[in-house]
Amino acid sequence: MTAASAPESLIERLLSGRGIWPAVPAIIVLLFVAVIPFLILLSLGISDVVTVRGAIVSQEFSLRHFSAALADPLYWTTFHRSLTLAVTTTLLCMLLGFPVAYLYLIGGKWWRRIILVLTIAPILTSGIVRTYAWIVILGGRGVVNSTLIQLGLIDQPVRIINTHWAVLIGMVQIHLPIMILPLIAAMSRHDPRLDEASANLGATRLGTLRQVILPLAAPSLGTGAALAFTLSYTTFVVPQLLGGGNYLNAATMVYEQVVYALEWNKGAVTAVILMATCLLGLVVIAGLTNLASAWTRAGR
Amino acid sequence: MNSASPANRQEPAPASAVVDIRGLVKHYGNQRVLDGCGLTAVEGEILTLLGPSGCGKTTLLRCIAGFIKPDAGSVVVDGRDLGPVPVNRRPVGVVFQSYALFPHLTVARNVSYGLRMRSLPASEISARVESALQSVSLTGLQDRYPSQLSGGQQQRVAIARVVILQPRVLLLDEPFNALDAKLRGAMQVELRQLIKRLGITAIFVTHDQDEAMTLSDRIAVMRAGRIEQIDQPEVVYDRPASMYVADFIGASNVFSGHARHGLLELPDGQSVPTELNGDVKVMVRPHNLALTLKHDGSSSTWIGELRFRRHVGAMVEYEIGLPDGQVVKAIGLHGEHSSAPETGESVSLTIRKPAACMVFATP
Repeated sequence: MTAASAPESLIERLLSGRGIWPAVPAIIVLLFVAVIPFLILLSLGISDVVTVRGAIVSQEFSLRHFSAALADPLYWTTFHRSLTLAVTTTLLCMLLGFPVAYLYLIGGKWWRRIILVLTIAPILTSGIVRTYAWIVILGGRGVVNSTLIQLGLIDQPVRIINTHWAVLIGMVQIHLPIMILPLIAAMSRHDPRLDEASANLGATRLGTLRQVILPLAAPSLGTGAALAFTLSYTTFVVPQLLGGGNYLNAATMVYEQVVYALEWNKGAVTAVILMATCLLGLVVIAGLTNLASAWTRAGR
Repeated sequence: MNSASPANRQEPAPASAVVDIRGLVKHYGNQRVLDGCGLTAVEGEILTLLGPSGCGKTTLLRCIAGFIKPDAGSVVVDGRDLGPVPVNRRPVGVVFQSYALFPHLTVARNVSYGLRMRSLPASEISARVESALQSVSLTGLQDRYPSQLSGGQQQRVAIARVVILQPRVLLLDEPFNALDAKLRGAMQVELRQLIKRLGITAIFVTHDQDEAMTLSDRIAVMRAGRIEQIDQPEVVYDRPASMYVADFIGASNVFSGHARHGLLELPDGQSVPTELNGDVKVMVRPHNLALTLKHDGSSSTWIGELRFRRHVGAMVEYEIGLPDGQVVKAIGLHGEHSSAPETGESVSLTIRKPAACMVFATP
């Protein structure tokens, strides 16, 4: 800036759209809805709180709740269950989602439209509504059981609802669109000439899929996996409703500790551990994605 | 003087024909993109499919590669009908318009791709990759990724990637589109030399007549899904089979005339013999038009006014407005006049070689 020109006013700088200014409104919102609540949560976890009729009257620093939680076997089994459920859900979503994305890639205009509508429509419906739908489908007098009985395959209704399997089925269905969307985005960017080139060089359809399409979709597969993992690891609705209140995962544990037991410190500790392990999971997924990319580049 | 010869005639293929295409038809909806297209390419020849966009040249190329199944007709390579042969078993290599290099693979792995798909032993693959990279002067770049290469280098990777498989035919779809104009000229000559050195039969697709002239042994001019004329570049230029070809290849001036008793009077008063009778169109190439200054003395009564003059190296391009409003183009040598003709000056025109005029029946 030359000496002659007047210094820019704050308003001018804000409106110029340079630097971090355009992000400021979002940063302020995040500060209030994410950072400050997290700090409050953390402070609850690392302190002793005395409440009188639900109102906090005193708070002192203490790591007592964390050490108690880590010593409690219930924590370990619950987190182990949460992690297993999230990883299984993520893997099943990848396994079921990629073929859909591949169909989107090789399908014509109509296939693409149908897949897009079928993927987006469930997202437009509330997760709670979809979960209740599963109760109807999987229940004792539900579609699955009555069909199996009519076919003569079983005499008595099989207990599916309120089991681990019901939770897993619901989880996969709820999170599958989240997996498919980034993959579809990758497939729409995919250059069909690469597949033609691959075929021209002698590759079969399977060869092209393994050598060209899958490696190029790997980053999006990673994005989808990260999303599906985060959501399924921290979900509360599906295990609560399809597990019939018997299925304890980390999120339902937080809910019970805070809402039923009114143990704010315990709930805070569980929530912080949940967040920390979720971040750790994301780091692992990012690492695996990079590894997969490097592997396809270097070849065997 | 030529008379338009029927294109797409079905002659027996010459003995050395590597590619023999007959009666290809392809519809997209109601549109007939290929309309009984036929041609042959002989061993080691560079053939160019030239035509405006939408003439079916790319569709023809894609039929040969097998990406598109024609509705009728056959593609025969080395006497074998490729109709039932799937894309990945055809003895045909394609260099794509934007090269379609695999972005996630290094140069070496792009080049070795086809050999790996054939599950060749690693030692043979690395030896062949090395010699393929050498033949296109890319040694030392094997560990780069396509995004780290220049356009010209990418083109050579694309060529190495297919010639390593020793295809019988090399198909190139507008291979210079992705290069900037400055590079193109040099790359065209280089590519022609490379293909000749490898001795592969090649079929190019382009809409650029200069590119076709530089690269080809023969040019096939396409129009609305058919081959309009197929011949050596200079023949296509000097003796075009139709007005369409004459118009597409090189600039031309078109005049109306009337032929009588086997003679046609040209606009400048000279006459040429012709087989045609009645109303005709005469096409005169700009370099066949000589421009004379009024005071230099000229017998021609064909007078016009110089509208525009441009020096291009040793050549001078002129635009002359005729009294009837038509604007004609002429090309002359720099310094051929006693004084350079000025814009607005009255000039007379003469046809240098009446026999080089092209006469077509009025459509």
